[in-house]
Amino acid sequence: MNAQNTENAPKVLKESKNKIKVDFERTDAWTRFRIKYLSWHFVGTLAWWLFRFVLLLGISYVILLPFYTKIASSFMGRDDFVDATVKMIPKNFTLDTYREIIKENKYGEALLNTTILSVVCALLQTLMCSLIGYGFAKYNFKGKKYIFALVIFTMIVPHTTLRLSMFMKFRYFDIFGIFKLLGGGVISSFKVLKFSSLELTNSFTPLILLSLTGLGFKNGLYIFMMRQFFNGVPDELEESAYIDGCSTFRTFFQIVLPISIPMMITIFLFAFSWQWTDNFYTKVFFTNTKKWILMPGIVKIPKTLDTNYAAQNLYSAAIRNTCSLLIIAPLIVVYLFCQRYLVQGIERSGIVG
Amino acid sequence: MTKQATPAKRRKIASLDQRKARAGWWFILPFLIGFVIIYLPIIFDSIKYSFNEIHNIQGGGFYLEFVGWENYREALFDDPTFVTTLTSGVKQLFFDIPAIVIFSLFMAVLLNQNMFGRAAFRAIFFVPVILCTGLIDEVDAGNALINSMSDTSSSINTGSGENTVAQVVSAADFSRLFSNMQVGGEIFTYVAGLINNIYDIINRSGVQMLVFLAGLQSISPAIYESCSIDGASGWETFWKITLPMISPMILVNAVYTVIDAFTDATNPVMSYINNVYNEAGGMVLSAAMSWMYFLMVMVIIAVVVGILSAYIFYQKRDT
Repeated sequence: MNAQNTENAPKVLKESKNKIKVDFERTDAWTRFRIKYLSWHFVGTLAWWLFRFVLLLGISYVILLPFYTKIASSFMGRDDFVDATVKMIPKNFTLDTYREIIKENKYGEALLNTTILSVVCALLQTLMCSLIGYGFAKYNFKGKKYIFALVIFTMIVPHTTLRLSMFMKFRYFDIFGIFKLLGGGVISSFKVLKFSSLELTNSFTPLILLSLTGLGFKNGLYIFMMRQFFNGVPDELEESAYIDGCSTFRTFFQIVLPISIPMMITIFLFAFSWQWTDNFYTKVFFTNTKKWILMPGIVKIPKTLDTNYAAQNLYSAAIRNTCSLLIIAPLIVVYLFCQRYLVQGIERSGIVG
Repeated sequence: MTKQATPAKRRKIASLDQRKARAGWWFILPFLIGFVIIYLPIIFDSIKYSFNEIHNIQGGGFYLEFVGWENYREALFDDPTFVTTLTSGVKQLFFDIPAIVIFSLFMAVLLNQNMFGRAAFRAIFFVPVILCTGLIDEVDAGNALINSMSDTSSSINTGSGENTVAQVVSAADFSRLFSNMQVGGEIFTYVAGLINNIYDIINRSGVQMLVFLAGLQSISPAIYESCSIDGASGWETFWKITLPMISPMILVNAVYTVIDAFTDATNPVMSYINNVYNEAGGMVLSAAMSWMYFLMVMVIIAVVVGILSAYIFYQKRDT
């Protein structure tokens, strides 16, 4: 045994501290090459690899091309839209479009307002949806199924259906007629409050109220995602915290929340960017567009840019595109930082129910 | 003394289950309060408005006049385009569901594989989820520049002026291929239409892709390993393992696609309803219309769930 082993064992040619050079019987390069690369299996793999790469590249092109077009056209001067030779690269490079939009459409104000609104709403929504999702995932109580069905219901009802009543609700805000009763709406002599209903429109209040109660834009989806995520968190984690004398809410904030950060960043990213580009709630709640300039308000053609020209259609489209570029510019920055968490968070959520 | 002795006054000690149940209520309390105080009245109001005519009072305020089914009757019989818009929208929805679900499943499978530049591709594929929603969607809709300069359909330029994909496809004589295969011209136009709208489909399948990716990640690698040891090819593995394991996600995504498609403001029915809302006296009419639309989509969701749940495979968990 021993002798045989030493005979077949590779001969050590050179040995240093980190490297070792060994002599052994090796199949020659050509045979290795032939077996590895000249087989149908390899051809198949290569073809699949190429096909996949080209396909993904093509679809990435389809996704990114409109962005490129927008960016390129936003730098184009007015004459470029008449010139047929200008295709992708601007000839008369100009920054006028940007300057006029920022100046005349009050981009700065819109940016400030929207940033405050989106950050506040997204933070509230992320926190509240985590709380609600946690309640649904980890606790058993009577009627849980039905309440969760209500969450799904809020997701299914399109908000356009509720447009009028939502506006009315917050324009004349009232809780079960209590304000009306106290404000003398029912019996005129009985008047405790000075108002019979609150006007909450043209302020951040409606959206904050909706975010606080998990009824904001697509919050049903967030609650659903958080519930699925918390379903995958092992119960033992909390049980050990309880045994150590931790209260329910402290367990949630100190044990469960820290491990769900990637998922929460995902939710935050969704909430933030969907609130940012939202034009339904902003249209419904901010009727006074002079006072409240939000992102939808800046999509218009500045008067200083004269569009009355040969290629008027294209030029005004380019200006509108520049507006949308200005709107999404902050989002792109946020996305670049958060996209890593987006896939991570979703992957760990194990949405499979 | 006597007070202390009465058993009714003694505080009952709740069991752990009861205490946990109570804590659960605390967690979902915000939603419950919001639902009862804000959402439920809104829903009821919306239904109420759809049966009423609304009149403004000078100097603020409004009063309602009950008109019964008048708004619904007006939407169904007086409005010239509502019914056709509705039926074509629903038809479109039925065509879009399979396209989006299949496309996102395929893309998720691709993005789940190990390959060169996977992180970059993933980052690019989820760009539409973040950036092409709501407002941007509205700006892009009917955008003359994107349509004329470098739309996906016109980027393939054959040089003869025929440049939409449908024309390229027909130039390649696929229609004859299809007719030779004894499938109708409708399928051909359907497929060509899908290719034409590829940008739209990609834009709308972002969340579905994420859901599928999550589903794929949660399939145990041990199953794939044992499969490959038994000599299954990638093709067989997909049909025998991946598809059954991912089937619950297909249901989720199909339902999500329906919801997303019909709550989306850019779809024809929704934009039609939005236009009606902005017309004089159209507010209540639009409420009536959207409730009808809502009922219709509920029926569609029921049909989709009914069809798909027959084919769903639920893995039995031993825990």
